[in-house]
Amino acid sequence: MHEAIKVTDELEFLDADSMSISRNAFAELVVEFSDGTTYTRIEPVRSFPISDTMRYITLFDSDGNEIGVVEDVNKLSSNSRDVLIEELKKKYFMPKITKINSLYGQFGVTTWQVETSQGDVEFGVRTRYDIVTLANGRVLIKDADGNRYEIENYKKLDTKSYNLLQTQL
Amino acid sequence: MHGPSSGSRRSRSHRMGMGSFGSKPRNRKKVDNELTTKEEIPEILEKRAHELLDNGEEIKVVVSTDLQFDGTYGKDWLLATDKRLIAFNQNGALGHDIQEVSLTTVEAIEVLEMYGNNILKVITSENAVELARYSKRLTPKFNLTVAELEELSSSNGSVLAERRGRRGPGPGGRRGGRGGPPGLKRGGDKSRCEKCGEPIPSWSGVCVNCVQKSKLIFRLFKYALPFLYIIIPAFLMMLVIRFIDVYPGKLSRELVDNILVPAGNVFAAASADGQPIPEQLPETSWGHLEGLSNTLSSWFGSMPLSGSFGHFLTIILIMVGLSVFNMGLSSVRGYMMAWVGQNITRRLQNQTYEHLNTLSIDFFHDRDTGNLMSRITHDVSRLRDFIANGLQDIVGDSLTLIFMCALMFAASWKLALWVLIPIPCLIFFTIVFGKKMSKVYQVLWKRYANISTILASVIPGVRVVKAFARERYEINRFSELTYQVFSGELNAAKLGSLYRPIMQFITYSASIIIWLVGGWQILQGELTLGILFEFQYYMVRFFGPVRTLCEMNERFIRAGTSAERVFEILDTPPTVSDRDDAQAIDNIKGDIEFREVFFTYDNEKNAINGVSFQVEAGEMIGLVGHSGAGKSTLVNLITRFYDPLQGTIVIDGHDTKDIRVKSLRQQIGVVLQDPFLFDGTIAENIGYSKPGASRFEIIAAAKAANAHDFIVKFPDGYDTMVGERGARVSGGERQRISIARAILKNPRILILDEATSSIDTETESKIQEALERLVRGRTVFAIAHRLSTLKYASRLVVLKEGEVDEIGTHEELIDQDGTYANLCQKQTELSKIRAW
Repeated sequence: MHEAIKVTDELEFLDADSMSISRNAFAELVVEFSDGTTYTRIEPVRSFPISDTMRYITLFDSDGNEIGVVEDVNKLSSNSRDVLIEELKKKYFMPKITKINSLYGQFGVTTWQVETSQGDVEFGVRTRYDIVTLANGRVLIKDADGNRYEIENYKKLDTKSYNLLQTQL
Repeated sequence: MHGPSSGSRRSRSHRMGMGSFGSKPRNRKKVDNELTTKEEIPEILEKRAHELLDNGEEIKVVVSTDLQFDGTYGKDWLLATDKRLIAFNQNGALGHDIQEVSLTTVEAIEVLEMYGNNILKVITSENAVELARYSKRLTPKFNLTVAELEELSSSNGSVLAERRGRRGPGPGGRRGGRGGPPGLKRGGDKSRCEKCGEPIPSWSGVCVNCVQKSKLIFRLFKYALPFLYIIIPAFLMMLVIRFIDVYPGKLSRELVDNILVPAGNVFAAASADGQPIPEQLPETSWGHLEGLSNTLSSWFGSMPLSGSFGHFLTIILIMVGLSVFNMGLSSVRGYMMAWVGQNITRRLQNQTYEHLNTLSIDFFHDRDTGNLMSRITHDVSRLRDFIANGLQDIVGDSLTLIFMCALMFAASWKLALWVLIPIPCLIFFTIVFGKKMSKVYQVLWKRYANISTILASVIPGVRVVKAFARERYEINRFSELTYQVFSGELNAAKLGSLYRPIMQFITYSASIIIWLVGGWQILQGELTLGILFEFQYYMVRFFGPVRTLCEMNERFIRAGTSAERVFEILDTPPTVSDRDDAQAIDNIKGDIEFREVFFTYDNEKNAINGVSFQVEAGEMIGLVGHSGAGKSTLVNLITRFYDPLQGTIVIDGHDTKDIRVKSLRQQIGVVLQDPFLFDGTIAENIGYSKPGASRFEIIAAAKAANAHDFIVKFPDGYDTMVGERGARVSGGERQRISIARAILKNPRILILDEATSSIDTETESKIQEALERLVRGRTVFAIAHRLSTLKYASRLVVLKEGEVDEIGTHEELIDQDGTYANLCQKQTELSKIRAW
C-alpha cells in the first residue's frame, strides 16, 4: 500500500534564512543564496496579485526560469524584505480609490473622477466587465489604458461615492 | 422604456450601454494626451535646467509624466538636450531630485512594462537610472520619446546595445522594447480614439465622440432614396393625419359657442320667465362652416341638416368622420412605412453580410463575433427604426405642436401665453425623469445580465457542481443576485409610480390654468366658452409630442453610432483582393516556390522572415518547428488568407497575387486541427467543399477518409445531424469527416494543419491511413507536432523564428544532428514513456 501523496509536499519554498535580495547599480534585483548561487536581474511575480500580495512571490531569473517561491515576504531578512517590497510596489501599481467625485457615462464608456491613495485622477472605463466586484465588497477596476484601481470596500464609501458606484456594479 | 425582462442577454448588455446618465462635469480637465515630445516646460524647471546646461546646449525633448516615483499622481519632467538627459523628480523620492545622465554613456533605453504603470530606464556602462514613471495612458507618448532619445544618444556616438530581451512571466512581464509607433497597428482593438483620445466603448469599436452624426445621417438617406415614392406620400399623409388630429378642437369650439351656449341661453331665459320651453331651437349661424354645410346639404338632401339641431348633428358627424378617416389613413401609412423599413433593413443586412464575406481573415481576428453579430442584427434594425420612423416622428411632432400653438394663439393669445407656463416644467421633468429612469434601468439590466451570466456558466457546468457537492453555494450565489434584481425593480417601481402622477399633475395643472384664467376672462366677457373647450382639447394632446422631442437628441446619437458601426464594416476594404488583371487557372500541377517571403501580423515582429524554398508537384512537405515558428502562417500565405509583405509565392510559375483568389482556393484543400463542422447533416458537411456533389461521391470520399464505417453505424447514417459546431460527434469523427470533405474536393494542393494532434492513438492510425490515401499525387504541406505523422513526407522543412532552419529528408536531417534530430530524440523518449 502506498501512502497517498500530500499535495503540500509538492511545493517547496525558498529558505528565507539562506537568501538575501539586494539591488545592484543597474537597479536590478539580485538574489544570493547561502550556498553561493547568485542570480541577477531576477523578477518577482505575485502569485495572487489581488488576494495575497505579500505571500507566494515567485522569483524568475533573467531567462524566465523559475528560481523558486518566497512563501512570505515578511519572513525574509529586513533588508531583503525592503528591497522586495519596494520592487513589488513599483511593479504592481494599483491605487486605492477613496472617493468618487464624479462618474459620467455615455455609451458604455464611463469617465471617473476619483480621489485615490496616490492622489486625484481621472480615467475612463470601456466596459462594465472591467469592473469586478469581489465577495467582501472589494472592487477592482481596469481603465481604458490598462491601469488598475481598487476600492477596498465599496460599502464603506461615503454615500455620494456609493450611489455613483451603484450604477456600475 | 424597454422592459428589462425582454430581449436576449447580448441585446440587454448592449442596450444598457446606451443612454447617458449623470451630468457631465462642467469643468472637466482637458486630458493631457497630446502626442508630442516637446511640451511646454514650466519656468522654474527651465531655470534649474539652464543652470546645468553648457553654453549652446539645446533642449530637444521635454516630456511630462503623470506619476511620480513614490507612486503619487503628479507631474515629473524628463528633458533631453543634445548632450544629456535630465529627470526632475519634484518630490525627491528615492533620492533622485534631479537625475542627470550624459548621452554618451547611454547603452540602452528600456521601458519596463508593469502592472498598472511603466518605467523608463536608462542603462549606462556603470549603472542604470530610472528616469520616468508613468501610467499606461502615456504609453504612446513615451514610446515616441524612447525613439527620440535613442536617436539623440546614437547621434552622440554611443552604441546602443541590442535591447536586452526581458520578457518575464507574470502580469505585464517586462518587455524590453517599445511597441510599434502608435497608430501603425493593423486594425486591432484600439482602446482609445486616435482623433480625440477618449476611450472607445468595448462593445462599439468606434469612437462615439467622433461620430460625425450629420454626415452619417445624410449617408443613411441614401438607403431611403429607392423608396422615396412611398416615403413622400407617407410623409404627406402624416401631415394630413397630424392636422386632422388637431382640428376637432376647432369643432368643439364651434359646437359650444354657436349651438350649445345659445341654446342654453334660450332655455334658461324661457324657464326664468316661466314660459314654456320653445319647440324650435334658435337659428344658429354656421360661421365659417357655412360652405361645408351647403355642400353636405346638397349631397344628403334627406338629412336633417337645417336648423340648429341639424347643425349640431353635422358637427358631431364631421367629428366622427374625421376620426374614422384618420384611423384608416393611419393604418395605411403604418403599413407603408413598415414596408419601407423592412426593405431597408433587408438591403442593409444583406449588403453588410455580403461585404463581411469578402473581408479577409484578419478583420475577423481583430473583432469579437458577438460584436459583429450585433452590428448586423441590432444596429441595422435601429437604423431602420430611425430612417423609417424617427425622422418622420420628429417632423410630425414638431408640426403638431406648431399647429396647436398657432390655433391657440389665434383663438386667444392671452390665454395661450398662460397655458404655456407649465410647458417648461413638463420638459424639465421629462428630461430629469428620463435620465433617472435610464440610470435605474441600466443598473437593473446589469443585474439581470449577472443572472444570465451565472446561469450560462453554472448550467453547462452542472457536472462539476454536483461532483463537488457545491449546490448550496450556487443556490446562495443565485439568491443574492435575485435579491439585487428585486431591489432594483423596486427602485424602478418607485420612480415609475412617481413619474406618472407627476406628469398627470403637470398636464392637469395646465387644465386648471385654463379653467382659472379662461374662466376669469369669460367672467370679464373677454372669452367665449368654446375657446375654453378648444384649449382643453389641445392640452390633452400636448404631452406626447413634447416627450418625443425631448428624447430626440439621444435618438440621433444612437442612430449615428449604429450607422458608424455598420458603415465601418462596409467601408473596410479586403486586404486580400483580386488584381484587375488576375486570371483564373483551372488545373494547376502543384509546383510551389517561396521567394524571399516576409510577413508580419503586427508590424513589430516578422512572423515569416525571408523564407525561400521550392516544392515540386506531388511532394509532401512536413513543416516542423516550435509553436510560433511560423508554420501555420506559412500555409495561410499559400491559401492567401494573407498576402506576403514582401517576396512572392509562385504556383506553377504564376505569382499567387496574379491568380484569382477564388480559383486558387478551389485547388486547395485544408484539414485543420479542430475541424469546424456546420450545423447540418454529415452528408451536407462532407458535400460543403463541392457544391452539387452526388451521394455516391460523398460516400466514396467518406470511405477514403475511413469515415464510412462509423457514419453508417449512426442510426441516421449520413443524415445524422452533427449539432452546432459538430458537437454531437466525437473529435476523431469530426476529423475524419473533415478529411472526407477535403478529399471530395480533390484538390491539387493539400494542407494538413495539425490534423491528428488531438486524437487517441487508435483513431490516429485510422486517420493516418486515410491521409496516406489522400496525399497521393498531390502537393501536400503537413504541419505536425507528432513527428510520426510525417513519416510519409518526402522532405521536411524545419522553421525557427520565421526562418528556414533546416531542410531535407528525415535521414539527412538526423545525420545533420541539428534542431530536427534534437526534436526527434525528445519525442522518442516521450513515446517510450507513453508506450510504457
